[in-house]
Amino acid sequence: MKKIDPLLALTTAALSLPVFAGNPPTEKEISLRASSYKEDDISKTSVLSGSPERYKIDKTHFRLLTPIGSNWSTEINTSQEVMSGASPWGTFSGSDEQPSLIMSGATIKDKRTEVGVSITNYQDNASYGVTLGTSHEDDYKSRSIGLSAGWDLNNMSTLGIGFSFSDDDIEPTDAKKFGRIQQAKKQTRSFSVSWTQIINANSLLFSGLTYTNKEGFLSDPYKLRDTRPDKKSEWAASLKYRIFIDSKNAALHLNYRLYNDGFGINSHTVNAEWHQNISLRWKISPRIRYYSQSQADFYLDADDFSLPKTVNQSSDHRLSGYGAITAGIQANYELSGWKIKVGFDRYISDNHYGHDSSRYSHPALLDFNLTSLGIEYKF
Amino acid sequence: MNYLKQLILSCATVVVMGCETVAPWDREVLARPEMQLSTDPMGDALFEQVYLSKEASAGGYKTAGGGCGCN
Amino acid sequence: MGCPCELRFYGKKEKEIENAFRQCVARAKEFEHKYSRYLDDSVTTSINRSAGKSRTTIDQETFALLDYAQVCFELSNGFFDITSGTLRQCWNSQTTELPSQIQIENCRSRIGWEKVTYSETEIFLPVKGMELDFGGIVKEYAADALVASAQKNGVEFGLINLGGDIAMVGPQADGSPWNIGIVHPTIKGATIAKIELSSGALTTSGGYERFIEIDGQRYSHLLNPKTGFPTDSMLSATVIADQAVVAGSITSIALLNNEKEGLRWLEDSKLPYLAITKNLDCLGTLARTD
Repeated sequence: MKKIDPLLALTTAALSLPVFAGNPPTEKEISLRASSYKEDDISKTSVLSGSPERYKIDKTHFRLLTPIGSNWSTEINTSQEVMSGASPWGTFSGSDEQPSLIMSGATIKDKRTEVGVSITNYQDNASYGVTLGTSHEDDYKSRSIGLSAGWDLNNMSTLGIGFSFSDDDIEPTDAKKFGRIQQAKKQTRSFSVSWTQIINANSLLFSGLTYTNKEGFLSDPYKLRDTRPDKKSEWAASLKYRIFIDSKNAALHLNYRLYNDGFGINSHTVNAEWHQNISLRWKISPRIRYYSQSQADFYLDADDFSLPKTVNQSSDHRLSGYGAITAGIQANYELSGWKIKVGFDRYISDNHYGHDSSRYSHPALLDFNLTSLGIEYKF
Repeated sequence: MNYLKQLILSCATVVVMGCETVAPWDREVLARPEMQLSTDPMGDALFEQVYLSKEASAGGYKTAGGGCGCN
Repeated sequence: MGCPCELRFYGKKEKEIENAFRQCVARAKEFEHKYSRYLDDSVTTSINRSAGKSRTTIDQETFALLDYAQVCFELSNGFFDITSGTLRQCWNSQTTELPSQIQIENCRSRIGWEKVTYSETEIFLPVKGMELDFGGIVKEYAADALVASAQKNGVEFGLINLGGDIAMVGPQADGSPWNIGIVHPTIKGATIAKIELSSGALTTSGGYERFIEIDGQRYSHLLNPKTGFPTDSMLSATVIADQAVVAGSITSIALLNNEKEGLRWLEDSKLPYLAITKNLDCLGTLARTD
C-alpha cells in the first residue's frame, strides 16, 4: 500500500464523478437552427412574362429554454427570414387551354422577424402556458397571444386544450402604383383540444381536434385578380402514433391529419418517420410525407377578368387540387450536452398525385429542397 | 413523527436490472427522446411554416398561433 | 448489473415519489445500457471490441470513471484492475479442474491497466482480446447517482439497494434509521450482524456469495490480477462511507488482498468496517453491533 490516505484519495477521486460535481441544472437548452428553402425554377414554357426564378428563403432560428425554480419555465424563440425571388401574379389560359403564368418581374426581397415568448407553470397534475408573439414584415404585421393547459388524468392519459388569437395588419408594397388594397386587417381565433393515451409500454396515441376562424382580408393582395370570402372556418383532426420497436432499437412515428375548410378544400396528410438509433451518439431518421388537397369552390384554372371584382375567384396554385410527396432524412449526433442535427428534404407536387385534383396541373405547383443545420446545447 | 406514517402514499419495490418488468419501469421506453410526440420542436416549427405557406391546410393538433404574410 | 435491486421511497406527495421513482428507474436502466458488458451497444462493448485495433471515443462520464479506476489501481498497488475480467475465462462456475499455468499466462497477457492509454475523449486497449469491466465501480456509482436523483426530486425518506450496495436517500419515514442485516458468510439465510444507518452508504464484498469449487476446494470468485489465481482473502468486508462508490472500492480492495493485508487496509481507511475472517471472527468498529 502506498503511504497516502486511501480514503482521502478515493473521496477526492469520487468527487470528480459527474453525480457529485455540484448540482448541474441540466434543463437549460440553447439552440440555433439555420435552414435554406429553395424552390425549383418554373419551366420557361409556362411563363408568359416575368421571371421563372422562384422563392428562396434563408431562415435563422434561435431558441432558449430555461427552467425557473422547479415549477416554471420560459421559452424564447426568435427567427429571421430573408426571402427573395419572383411570385405568380396571375394565371392565364394559353392557346392550348393550358394555364400559363404571369410572374412578378423583378426579384422581390423581403425580411421577416418573428419573436415569441412563452411561460409555463407546472403543477402536480397540470400545466398552464401563455405565449405572446409578434411577426414583422414590411407589408405584414402580426401580434398574437396563446393560452394552453394540460391535465394528467389518470397517469395513462393527458388532456390538452388551447386557444390563440392573432391580430394582423396587411399593407401591401407599391399599393398605389399597382392599384392594390392599401391597408387591410385580419383576425384569427383558434381552439384546440387533444387527448394523449399511453397504450402500453412501447406505444402511445395522440388525437387532436382544432377549429380556426379567420376574418378580414383573406385574399392575396399581389395577384392581379384574387377575391376570396372575408370569413373562413377550418376544421382539422389529427392522430399521432408512436411505437418503439425493441428488436430494431428504433421508434416509428405515424401521423395522419384530415382537414376541411369553408373555402371547400379538404385534405389528407400522412407522414411516417423512422427514428433509428445507430449508437449512443448517432441517430438517423428517414421520413416520408404524402399530402393531397381538393380545390377551393371558387378556384379557377385561369383568372377571369370578365367577372365583377366582388365575385369570388382565385387562380392561386395553393387553392388548386393536387398532391405532394416529401421525402427526407435527418441525422443527429450527440456529444456531452451538444447535439448536431442535419436534415435534407425534397418536396415534389403534381396534380396527378392528388385524390381530388383540379382539371389542369397548375403551372406554379412547387418542387423545393429544404436543408437545415442545427446545433443545440444543454447545460 | 408517527403522523408521517399515515401520510405515506407510495412505496415501491421492484426488481430493476434483472428479469421482471413492472408498470413504472415500463415508462422507460416511453420516456426516450425518440418516443416523444415532438422530437425536434425547431424542426417541426420549420416544416409547419413551410407547409402552412405553401399548402392550403393547417392545424390539427395545436392552435394556429400568430400570423404571417406568407399565406 | 443483472442483480435484484430495490428502491424504497417515502414521501408526502404521491406524484413526487412516483416521478422520482420513474426517473431513478430510467437512470438505472441508462447505466446498464451504457456500461453492461453483456449488451451489444454499450460503451463497454464498443471499447472492448476495438481492443488492439482502434481508439474509442468516450464521454465525460466514462472519462471520470476511468480516472476513478486509475486511482483505485494506484492505491491498491495494481490489485484493483478493471481489465482483470478476462481471468474469468480461466475461472468460472463451469471450471471443474485447475486451469494450467499456460492458460493462466494466456489470460494474464491480456490484463494490465497500466498498458491502457486514455484521454478525456478517447481510450485505447492495446492488446487484442483485452477487456474492460466497469462492474466493480458502476453499480456503486449508480447507487450514488440514484440517491442524488431521488433527493433532487424531493424524496426525503428511503434507500436504494443495488444488489447489496445500499445507499441512503434518507432515514425511514418516521425518522428512525434503517436496520441493515449483514449476511452470514456460511449459513444461508442467516445474518451475522445488524447495522443501523440513516445516511451515507454501506457496501459489502465477499467471496462467499459466488465461489468456484474444484476437487472439493472452494475458491473465491475474486481473482488476483497479479497471480492469475483466486484471492485467499477474508470472507467478507463491510464498510460505511459517504459515497457508495468509495465504500465499494474499499471493500473490493480489502477482498483482493490476503486476509492480513486486507485487515490492515480496512484499518487504514479509518472508516467504520466489519470484517469476517476465515475463522468466522467478526472484527472492526461495526463488529459489536449485534
